[in-house]
Amino acid sequence: MAGPSTNAAIALSLRENGMAHWLRIGFYKVGPFFTVTALLLTWELASRLELVIAFLLPPLSVVLLRIAEDMVAGQLPLDIAITLYRTLVAFVLAMVIGISLGIVIPRVASIRWFFDPIISIGLPMPKIALLPIFMLWFGLFDTSKILMVAFSASFQIIITTWSATQNVEKELIWSARSLGASNRQILWEVIFPASLPQILTGLQIAMPVCLIVVLVTEMVMGGQGLGDSMLRSARYVDSPGVFAGIVEIGIVGFCVIRSMELIRRRLLVWHQETQKEETTV
Amino acid sequence: MASVARSGREHDNPAAAPGISISGVCHEYRPANGRPVLALDDISLEVKDREFVSILGPSGCGKSTLLYLMGGFMPLQQGEIIVAGKTVTGPGPDRGVVFQNFALFPWKSVRDNILYGLEKQGLPREERLEIAQHYIDMVHLSGFEDSYPSQLSGGMKQRVAIARTLAIKPDTLLMDEPFGALDAQTRSLMQEELIAIWNRSPTTVVFVTHDVREAVLLADRVAVMTARPGRLKEIVETKFADAPHDEIVKSPEFLDKVDYTWNLVRAEAVAADAEKAG
Amino acid sequence: MSAAATLWRFTPLLIIALLWEATTRLGLISEFALPPLTNVISSFFKLLADDLLYHTGRSILRGAVGFLCAMVVGVLAGVLMAWYRPVRILVNPLMRCFYPMPKSALIPLTIMWIGLGDGSKMTLIFIGCLLPIVMSSFNAARGVDQVLIWSARGMGATEQQVLWEVVVPASMPEILSGIRISLALSFILLVSAELIIANNGIGYLIDLLGEGGDYAGMFAGVITISAIGFFADRGYVMLMRRFLRWRE
Ligand SMILES: Nc1ncnc2c1ncn2[C@@H]1O[C@H](COP(=O)(O)OP(=O)(O)O)[C@@H](O)[C@H]1O
Ligand SMILES: [Mg+2]
Repeated sequence: MAGPSTNAAIALSLRENGMAHWLRIGFYKVGPFFTVTALLLTWELASRLELVIAFLLPPLSVVLLRIAEDMVAGQLPLDIAITLYRTLVAFVLAMVIGISLGIVIPRVASIRWFFDPIISIGLPMPKIALLPIFMLWFGLFDTSKILMVAFSASFQIIITTWSATQNVEKELIWSARSLGASNRQILWEVIFPASLPQILTGLQIAMPVCLIVVLVTEMVMGGQGLGDSMLRSARYVDSPGVFAGIVEIGIVGFCVIRSMELIRRRLLVWHQETQKEETTV
Repeated sequence: MASVARSGREHDNPAAAPGISISGVCHEYRPANGRPVLALDDISLEVKDREFVSILGPSGCGKSTLLYLMGGFMPLQQGEIIVAGKTVTGPGPDRGVVFQNFALFPWKSVRDNILYGLEKQGLPREERLEIAQHYIDMVHLSGFEDSYPSQLSGGMKQRVAIARTLAIKPDTLLMDEPFGALDAQTRSLMQEELIAIWNRSPTTVVFVTHDVREAVLLADRVAVMTARPGRLKEIVETKFADAPHDEIVKSPEFLDKVDYTWNLVRAEAVAADAEKAG
Repeated sequence: MSAAATLWRFTPLLIIALLWEATTRLGLISEFALPPLTNVISSFFKLLADDLLYHTGRSILRGAVGFLCAMVVGVLAGVLMAWYRPVRILVNPLMRCFYPMPKSALIPLTIMWIGLGDGSKMTLIFIGCLLPIVMSSFNAARGVDQVLIWSARGMGATEQQVLWEVVVPASMPEILSGIRISLALSFILLVSAELIIANNGIGYLIDLLGEGGDYAGMFAGVITISAIGFFADRGYVMLMRRFLRWRE
């Protein structure tokens, strides 16, 4: 028979596969760390070697030192606590209002009639534009900040809850009804759990909005918090302060968003998506 | 999404006869997290030129996997597959594939779906349109040329998928439960249509199904697979005299073969259930 | 929908408008908290004759430039990242780090880098919208049904053709909804940045009027930018529907 025998060919291809396989595995394992490290190193070196003006990009080490100083001085923990407090209170407020309205609206005709145009106009509107009005009505302290944040986030929660509870499979509801469940039981024991994945998605979209808006309210009105500190640094053209702010806010945002994902997983153990290999952010 | 572009180079192997030769093929799925799954274990199968072979087995036994490997969509981990004298190293229009879930392009109309493969063959426009129309008529979808897949029923989508594959006139036809989504009546019409097409221009066909009757009726030979990991259990000869389907299905030979094959598959289905339960 | 049905649908807004006018005219709510609706409307026309158009135009220009750049770069980057594995492995971890960052944190940074002008706002919107668009395009392209890709390859499409003729159109619905979310984000960033610090633009105008005690004018400005945001979204959705007719 001409050419390599079949077995030899297989052995060869297996060996090639093996080499390529290990190289690839190595690349997958090392690649992510490589880019992150490379980015951090470039940051440090670019400004140390004066490739960029240190004012535009202070060295990483300077920024980290600054964060450590703020931490020791106690200002940073305070800012984080204040910002988180505002965010979470506003988020819970938006969640309670949003989920209740989202459940009630599609079920009561008169309420639906009243809220439908308001929500369809309010959802796509840049609600942050109302900030001056909130300041006028509620002052410059926590109340107006929290209300502004909750207002910005609640439309999204209303609309996802609304559509999620409306789109529950009819057969699911019918089978519960034929088993003798009352309307109230159907709502809490069938509709709510069945629409939970989508409701949680709505909350996961709302949380970043809360973080974005809370920082803006702090930047506009002051009153401490991460947003206020960062804007003050920018005003004083204190570039390590601005970058420290970016890093701090980035870490806080990362932790908050990650916790939302973990909570989702914990709540949706029964759902098939938790068995999927990778959830999207 | 596989991102590694394979070379697609195919080297002639004069030693092998046309048809399909599968030797010692194993396949293991290695999910990113989760246990590896051995889907195919040492499959060897010869399909003669212009033969119609059915692959039959319980759901999850690796039928689709085997078909994907013949199509060249996944790299072969072990063993070798030779189709029409060429070692399979990647996908190509010489092997037409009808996928289990249609795999129609939802953003293209029926006509454009069928035209897609023809464009890749570089035919002149007039000819492409003519061929597409011919196949649309053949699967009885005239009048739906401009519909999008989302506007069609499952059976209609299935017929578009079949027409799309037949239109590129592949030398080898690989079909993965192509009539799975059809109702009983359309199904038997399509079965006859497929056999009629095949009689007009015989090609090598590998036809995956889990319907015993369909396999026995259509195929020259039926390869019965075991439950996971898929191995070849037995090959049943199922060639009957040339006769209309409604006569064949009443003949005692046919009923005997169905009964025999059915028992083979049932044993595997029971085994598969036992594995799940255990 | 018939005219009567539309009218009935929007009656609640009319009721709110009437309540607004009535309570303020009757002095139930102080004029300094809520100027009567009619005053707001007349302020709007006064501003329209004055410099409302100028400031609005400035804002729209900034928003549009930043957003369009983010859209083009973001979609390309996201799709290429999904398609080329080495790129994905290198870029994905960075994206995962930066994606959850609340985008308003970029406002002070761009102010410090570039100042108060157009460039600063454009950069802000570009960077702010870029990551969400990359992320959603990436997820969309990654989520394309493997079998569609195989089917195109099986019919003889080259890798480039698979990318442009299958992966891109198949992920278009998700890409376009991702872009819609970023459109909303771009308005938030634009208005916020202008409220915080600027020397022109609609946010600046609102701030200025509020500081000067012209609350009717301030309300008129707020309603103007809200309406623009609303119609931008509606327009986008209409375009998107037209583009995705095949989805039925
Ligand atoms: N992408 C995959 N990752 C992991 N396991 C898979 C994958 N695809 C298929 N399998 C497993 O491989 C086995 C064979 O699958 P398949 O070939 O689709 O079976 P069939 O077509 O006979 O129903 C099944 O048990 C299935 O669970
Ligand atoms: Mg299958």
